[in-house]
Amino acid sequence: MPLTLLECDIPIPEREKHTYIKKSGECIVPMCNVQTTPGDLTERGCTYAGCMGVVGGPVKDVIHLVHGPIGCAYYTWGGGRRQNLSDNPEFHRKYCFSTSMQEANIIFGGEQKLHKSILESYERFPDVNGVFVYATCVIGLIGDDINNVCKKASKEIGVPVIPFSCEGFRGVSQSLGHHIANDVIFDRIVGTKEPDEVTPYDINIIGDYNIQGDLWIIAPLFEAMGLRILCTFTGNASIDDLAMAHRAKLNVMHCQRSTPYICQLMEEKYELPYMPVSLFGIKQTSQALRDVASFFGLEEQAEMVIESEIAKVLPQIEYYKEKLKGKRVFIYQGAPRAWHWIKLMDELGMQVIGAATTFGHTDDYEKIIERIGDGALVIDNPNSLELKEILVKYKPDLFISGLKEKFLAYKLGVPFVNGHAYENGPYAVYSGFVNFARDMDMTMNHPAWKLIEGRT
Amino acid sequence: MRQIAMYGKGGIGKSTTTQNLTATLADMGNSILQIGCDPKADSTRMLVGGRRQPTVLDTLREVGAENVTLEEILHEGFKGIKCVEAGGPEPGVGCAGRGVITAIKLLEALGAYDEDLDLVFYDVLGDVVCGGFAMPMREGYAKEIYIVASGEMMALYAANNICKGIVKFAEEGEIRLGGIICNSRNVENELALVEAFSERIGSKLIHFVPRDNIVQQAEIRKKTVIEYDPTCNQADEYRTLARNILENDMFVVPEPITMDELESMMTEFGVVD
Repeated sequence: MPLTLLECDIPIPEREKHTYIKKSGECIVPMCNVQTTPGDLTERGCTYAGCMGVVGGPVKDVIHLVHGPIGCAYYTWGGGRRQNLSDNPEFHRKYCFSTSMQEANIIFGGEQKLHKSILESYERFPDVNGVFVYATCVIGLIGDDINNVCKKASKEIGVPVIPFSCEGFRGVSQSLGHHIANDVIFDRIVGTKEPDEVTPYDINIIGDYNIQGDLWIIAPLFEAMGLRILCTFTGNASIDDLAMAHRAKLNVMHCQRSTPYICQLMEEKYELPYMPVSLFGIKQTSQALRDVASFFGLEEQAEMVIESEIAKVLPQIEYYKEKLKGKRVFIYQGAPRAWHWIKLMDELGMQVIGAATTFGHTDDYEKIIERIGDGALVIDNPNSLELKEILVKYKPDLFISGLKEKFLAYKLGVPFVNGHAYENGPYAVYSGFVNFARDMDMTMNHPAWKLIEGRT
Repeated sequence: MRQIAMYGKGGIGKSTTTQNLTATLADMGNSILQIGCDPKADSTRMLVGGRRQPTVLDTLREVGAENVTLEEILHEGFKGIKCVEAGGPEPGVGCAGRGVITAIKLLEALGAYDEDLDLVFYDVLGDVVCGGFAMPMREGYAKEIYIVASGEMMALYAANNICKGIVKFAEEGEIRLGGIICNSRNVENELALVEAFSERIGSKLIHFVPRDNIVQQAEIRKKTVIEYDPTCNQADEYRTLARNILENDMFVVPEPITMDELESMMTEFGVVD
């Protein structure tokens, strides 16, 4: 079957181009990464959200200062379910900084207030190692010279003050915000410091944001192989980690939507190669460790790590496999996890009957379509009505999505796992796979669903 | 109460013409509020004898919107004209357009639009660079617009563009063009050209104000012509302008012309070879 139009989309026929039912042998990719069609109540975030909320925000030892009205600050603070953990919880993701631009600031310009806010926040938190300044929509309109203010303030406080021109109205989704954050961090931070020592076995893990501590179970595997992790971009990263990242020998790239930009820039400037990996599930994680090991000639060490990790988790995975096999799942993620997890579901004997992303590009959909089974629905940037129709008509046994969709699923009586911020993660690599399988089992086999009328 | 907005190319003499006009109208016994909508805040200078008065936005910034009083921002000038300057940011920072919107809303909230007023004049920054400077045309504030122009190409070009803006707002609101005021630059064949232009866009030339050095003489002394020398010829010219505006009953939705048409008019009237 080719492109298809959901029933709820009859008034917005343009959505047909974004909705595809997989058929082997066809070469169709749903339309993606384009402006939202009028009438489609999109769930996309904005460029500012992508820049600060995804890529910039996890940096643990800088003040994240939102230059704009106060509302922009609250909704990206991360006080809710954003779970980018760090080892600096007394500061990181605890406080929220904003210039709180008001009417008179808009009219007379916000440069003075920004300058004052930088000095004031640094005075309150003098232990930070930098300040990231994020421009919201109105700042782009009134044209505050944030570069100049940041430059001046940086001289005064003696730590880097980094401006991000990530006004929300730019771009089509939050994706451009990732790109801007990559470019700014590369231009202004990477290469500004040198590590005390380098080893032939230094790597960076790029594109992991340490959701519920993913990195804390990813890193030990590479370390057990004899590698040293110089920088994680940007989960649990310090600004100095980022500054020294250029001295690694290999960039191991996990999120392949939000970070290929910096990987390519580092490859061009520092001849630092990068390697895309999937660190979810036994097979993909083992493959990733083998790929990285072969780059460094550490194959034997990798096999030892893999063997010992698999031995630890296999009995539990086998247990959950019995309970999960044959279950049908619909995955809706930002972008890459929608394809990372198709293979993971295969391992558990589950079937992915639909996949969607909020801001995926063509390469994300190519990977989804290559991996997903015939007859599965692939939909770009779905809205609530479309999601509801899919949950009711396609009747997945499980919906894996984010917080926005959780209560839609619950109201329809559909078992749900939060794949964005996780339930009881981390979900990465071997031990995280067990957590993931456990959470899927817990929701799907919960007796509470029998008490809910839900979808009919 | 008639609310009138004055638009025109930057540097054409809008503020000079407006002040001389309102001074004359006040001299004829009209009760007037004049609001300068330009961050430079020099629209009422000659009416208040050159004093720099606190602007709406400066006051708002200093004391906060809830603490601004009319007494602080509204000052009586020549013959009781109530003078207000919206003010705004320094060049190159902030958003002057937002300032115009905020200032007008604040004036309204403070009750500046007294029922006893006969006329309210808005003197607006020449280049209507964004929605903010169109504020006096919106939401039922000014219903009449006069465009100050001359026989120079760029002045007519700007006037034509302002007409495009009026058309847009006229669709939804009651805003209409009252006419073109020619503030003469002594360009060749100027009267005929501006007259023809005014008719071509479906309006009329309200008055041709000749160029006279006495305007500058008065301005240097921080006075309008009517105050400086009420008996001179130029004072009579402003009286005619004032009368023509008071008696005007031709309010139109203008029909802007194309750039090509404008250029061919310039050739036709011998301004361009």
